[in-house]
Amino acid sequence: MNSTIRRHAPFWLSLAAGIASWEIVGRNTSQAFMVPFSETVLRLWQLVRSGDFLTQLLDSAQLFMTGFVIAVAIGAPLGLLLARVRTLRVGVEPYIMILYATPMVALIPFILSIMGFGFAPKVLVVFLFAVFPVLYNTIEGARSIRPELIEVARSFRSREWALWREVMLPYTLPFIMTGVRQAIGRALVGMVAAEFFLSSTGLGQLIMGASQNFDTGGVFASIFVIGLIGVGLMRVGLMIEHHFARWRQ
Amino acid sequence: MTHQAVTRGGQTSLAPQHATPRIRVKGLGKRYGALEVFRNIDFEVGEREILAVVGPSGCGKTTLLRCVDGLLPHDAGEIWVGSERISEPIAGVAMVFQHFGLFPWKTVFENVAYGLRMAGASRSEIERKVPDFIKMVGLAGFEQAYPYQMSGGMQQRCGLARALALEPSVLLMDEPFAAVDAQTREILQFELLRIWEQRPTAMIFVTHSIEEAVLLGHRVIVLKGRPSTIHETITIDLPHPRTRATLREPRFAELRERVWSTLMHEAREAEFQLER
Repeated sequence: MNSTIRRHAPFWLSLAAGIASWEIVGRNTSQAFMVPFSETVLRLWQLVRSGDFLTQLLDSAQLFMTGFVIAVAIGAPLGLLLARVRTLRVGVEPYIMILYATPMVALIPFILSIMGFGFAPKVLVVFLFAVFPVLYNTIEGARSIRPELIEVARSFRSREWALWREVMLPYTLPFIMTGVRQAIGRALVGMVAAEFFLSSTGLGQLIMGASQNFDTGGVFASIFVIGLIGVGLMRVGLMIEHHFARWRQ
Repeated sequence: MTHQAVTRGGQTSLAPQHATPRIRVKGLGKRYGALEVFRNIDFEVGEREILAVVGPSGCGKTTLLRCVDGLLPHDAGEIWVGSERISEPIAGVAMVFQHFGLFPWKTVFENVAYGLRMAGASRSEIERKVPDFIKMVGLAGFEQAYPYQMSGGMQQRCGLARALALEPSVLLMDEPFAAVDAQTREILQFELLRIWEQRPTAMIFVTHSIEEAVLLGHRVIVLKGRPSTIHETITIDLPHPRTRATLREPRFAELRERVWSTLMHEAREAEFQLER
């Protein structure tokens, strides 16, 4: 009990110190730039009570989940396929590298000009932000499998489908989950970027609206929530990753 | 007394040369591009015979075994197991790998069950058979352990159980005890002999160790040269069942010396060739 407290003490102390500094700096800064922690929480509570916040949150969540799920559903299987089929990989890899290295925000005007302001272009933005870490980690992971294990599978007369299900996928899952975890962070960025630059909705709209109305509390409250969601989702991702990696020492 | 004599007689008549061949390899050749690994390999392995294969590093022992398993294509000759000609892995042949080849995300039970599942065995058959083979190799109680939780010796016991679970007529052993420490290796050699006595099969046992080859094999073939060919086939006329006492027999030392001198002669030649 005592040791548990001691182990977690730095975490809670640091958190308390952070909130305290936020509070102090916030109280001594113009409301136009920054509000203290207490006011952020208060404003958040007001927004939640008005019902506005939850509507926008759900809106953002829908966008996030759609883009993110498509990114994982396409990135992971495609990554496995590219790892297994060499010719395909050699052909496709340069495009993946270019797109992975490109700041996706730079593509938003282009997406806007060909797809307009609907839901689909925003999903595309989230998808593009999220898909490459999944794809990249899956390819790298699947390629690192020991050739001996593929040989074992073949020696025990595994068909191609069994080879994927029994060997490639379970081996690669921890790598895929690392990609998924990175993708969560990037999808959140994509979500806010899409809500800023394409049709304004969700938490992005909330931030923009609050900012235009000099509602600094509203801006901070929205950012605070996005941060919390990000941390929460990454923790879930880490737990799933550990679950699938429990066979590694 | 009479009974004993009869038993001894029975054992002699089991001499491999008279047994039905289970594996027939004829004129086998293999090349990797310009590099010819071996050529003109001919041998047969009886239904209840252990054929040990020795040779210097890089002579293609492991490649030969992979060809027999159907994992690698061969370029010349034929491989027959029973009435089937080998071009891909077939049922009835199981391999034990040098680095164990266990799936690290599967437990001992799941690893041992793997071959059976791929062969389309029913759930009840797997539930019934797998524990028996786990017990046979001495891993009872470790069914739910993951490979990383076990020593090398235990991992190879698991690899052996996975192969045995298929109840194969042919076992292919690719330096199976090369990656474990010396003491464990000795224990596993006698375990393997005990299991083989219980369920004799045709076996090809590839090894670096002359002692191991002589202890396990009914015959030892020595691969030679570049490309490798069979330099010599030495019949190991030691009685069965072989036990620790076998190691102390003068005949064992004699045969070991014979294989050793064949190999060492070969090793010197290989070294000389490299220097030129």
